[in-house]
Amino acid sequence: MQISTEELEGGVTRVILDGRLDIVGAQEIDLKMNVIAGTKKLVLIDMQKLSFIGSMSLRTLVIPAQAIKGSRRQARFVRPERNGRKCSEIQRHTYLDSHLP
Amino acid sequence: MNTHATESDGECLTLESKLSEIARVPPWIEKLSARHGIPSPIQFAMDLCLEEILSNIIRHGYAGEPNHALMIRHRINREGSFTLVVEDQAPQFNPLLVSDPPVPQSLEEISRGGHGIKLLKQFADAIDYEPMANGNRITITFIAHGSAQAGRRTTTT
Repeated sequence: MQISTEELEGGVTRVILDGRLDIVGAQEIDLKMNVIAGTKKLVLIDMQKLSFIGSMSLRTLVIPAQAIKGSRRQARFVRPERNGRKCSEIQRHTYLDSHLP
Repeated sequence: MNTHATESDGECLTLESKLSEIARVPPWIEKLSARHGIPSPIQFAMDLCLEEILSNIIRHGYAGEPNHALMIRHRINREGSFTLVVEDQAPQFNPLLVSDPPVPQSLEEISRGGHGIKLLKQFADAIDYEPMANGNRITITFIAHGSAQAGRRTTTT
């Protein structure tokens, strides 16, 4: 699981997630996600390159989104494209789709 | 069942009860898929269902204790159908009796978890649970889209 960031115009930090967001992958990026959530004002979490999302890793996406939302900053998500249909099904069954900004 | 060795003989994979061991599952499924021509959507479903069921067994069944074993077997069925059998030596627990979590009203409620068994039920075409003298056996079947064996069921023996 890879995580990288790039600074876009307007002070937006794009967070690119690449690979399998399974139990192991979530453990690999949790700390970085929390640091980003605690320090960046405008965050775009780009999930286009995610090929897998397990239920145990939902927290990795949700907790930073909550932290940002709670501090009146903004987070937005870009949906997965790899295995997009399957990953979308996971998001739908867990109701992640209807709550992610 | 051997309680310590972790092994793979192709159709069978034995894991130790540690979450990090689940990382061995996706490459094993890839090899099975290449060997048996398992379609990509079923490969994805197998991957997801095993992640969910194995993490449940390790975290809840074995309460996070290492040095227990989990065995996964792949069984070839009639054309278009693929089965995985998961056996453990944890206290008896039937995941099919677990109700779906309530519809979350917020991100916070999603983060509380409880979605694993729901995903298992959604992505498998059939699930059978069988209590054993010293553990549990879960049989998960996946049917290729368009196969004559269409239909979804869950049963408890």
